Amino acid sequence: MGFNLDFALSTIPIIIGAIGTTLLATVLSCLGASALGFTFEMIRRGGGAPGLAVRFLIDFIRSTPVLAWLYFLYFVLPFYGIRLGAMTVGILGLSLYYSGYLAEVFKAGIDAIPRGQQEAARALSLTRRDTVIFVIAPQMLRNIAAPLGNYLVSILKATPYLAILAVPEMLGRAFDIASETYRYAEPLTIAGVLFLALALIVSYGVKRIEKLLLASGRR
Amino acid sequence: MLDRRALPTSTLQPFPLVRIDGLNKWFGALHVLQNIDLTLRPGARVVVCGPSGSGKSTLIRCINGLERFQKGTIEFEGRSLGKSDRDAAMARRLTGMVFQSFNLFPHLTVLANCTLALRRVLLKSAHEAEEIAMRHLTAVHIPEKAQAYPAQLSGGQQQRAAIARALCLDPRIMLFDEPTSALDPEMIKEVLDVMIALAKTGVTMVCVTHEMGFAREVADEIVFMDQGSIVEHASSSDFFSRAAHPRARLFLDTILSH
Repeated sequence: MGFNLDFALSTIPIIIGAIGTTLLATVLSCLGASALGFTFEMIRRGGGAPGLAVRFLIDFIRSTPVLAWLYFLYFVLPFYGIRLGAMTVGILGLSLYYSGYLAEVFKAGIDAIPRGQQEAARALSLTRRDTVIFVIAPQMLRNIAAPLGNYLVSILKATPYLAILAVPEMLGRAFDIASETYRYAEPLTIAGVLFLALALIVSYGVKRIEKLLLASGRR
Repeated sequence: MLDRRALPTSTLQPFPLVRIDGLNKWFGALHVLQNIDLTLRPGARVVVCGPSGSGKSTLIRCINGLERFQKGTIEFEGRSLGKSDRDAAMARRLTGMVFQSFNLFPHLTVLANCTLALRRVLLKSAHEAEEIAMRHLTAVHIPEKAQAYPAQLSGGQQQRAAIARALCLDPRIMLFDEPTSALDPEMIKEVLDVMIALAKTGVTMVCVTHEMGFAREVADEIVFMDQGSIVEHASSSDFFSRAAHPRARLFLDTILSH
């Protein structure tokens, strides 16, 4: 049974039909992971007991497989009366998992900002919140544009994990076709090619944004 | 309960602007400031000098609350600046700080550097903030650089922008922490000229510097520090003509001879 090009092409519209789910999961997980990761890093920086707790949490997240998180949230939480939809669990799981990594990226980005910047902000009587929003965050983003972009692509590539929760994203849809037709090569190849295309587009977009960030006020 | 802070300044005795009493600070085991007493009257122009590591920078960083101290008191117009965050915030509101390495925000234009605190701290409108900022940028002779980013400016221009940024908040005291030490020699003069012009406006200034020519021209008081102590505190003319302490004499000889 060789590779049937006609069959492969016929699966494209079906698999592309799931691209919305893949993109939605990617965008929401990126936003969730960034917001959580930045919050974690801010709490860690604050120090004290909360800082220590978050430090432990980040290490814990980074030392456990993402599949374990997804299974845990999907199958264990209902025992405690928390019932979430598959898509919600998927986005929550990816957000949590990648927040641990993004916290580290944010940390590096903030550490690279010279100390004098915070001192200048303090000398100007800016509040802590304003210092973060107007002085720290913009410079941090410039420092981390490249690694942040890499993680956003990683999150895109991690969305097929959601197939195990029966979320109809692209790889899941390809697998559905495969189990119905007993032909695996064609739909999985198409799914792979589509992911490749998406990843390339996202990488390109990230590079453009990076250039834009660096162009404003070169050092 | 009577909170002295709640009283308007005018009903208080005429206090000196800043009064430092028995100030002590340690960095770990290192005793960086030892029993510092210093009084700044309004309009004073004080130059703090001394060999590196003598505690000059730490002293002025204590005045605006960037550094904490362990013992002693600092009073602003009779209001004690203790060790709480609120006190430090008050000290920073009253002081403008100019750093050795400028510390401009690299991602903001010169104008935005100046307007940020006007808008976020003094809650001025965008229009008003820009007006104030442009006035100060004009005073330091770089109004045409308002839309430039710091990296597009020379060191001297960056430091003048930083001075304008500090002046925007209308501070009672301007603190300068070695403002020309990071500059190429040909840019020192333009910054010193701005500071001399500023001194003529009557603003209270405390300046840590090695520029003895500037000290001679502008300062009315010289504070000489060595190893964490004030060794000599004299009027400018007295200091240059007859500094009493041998270490001050030695310092002057070395600095003035090159």
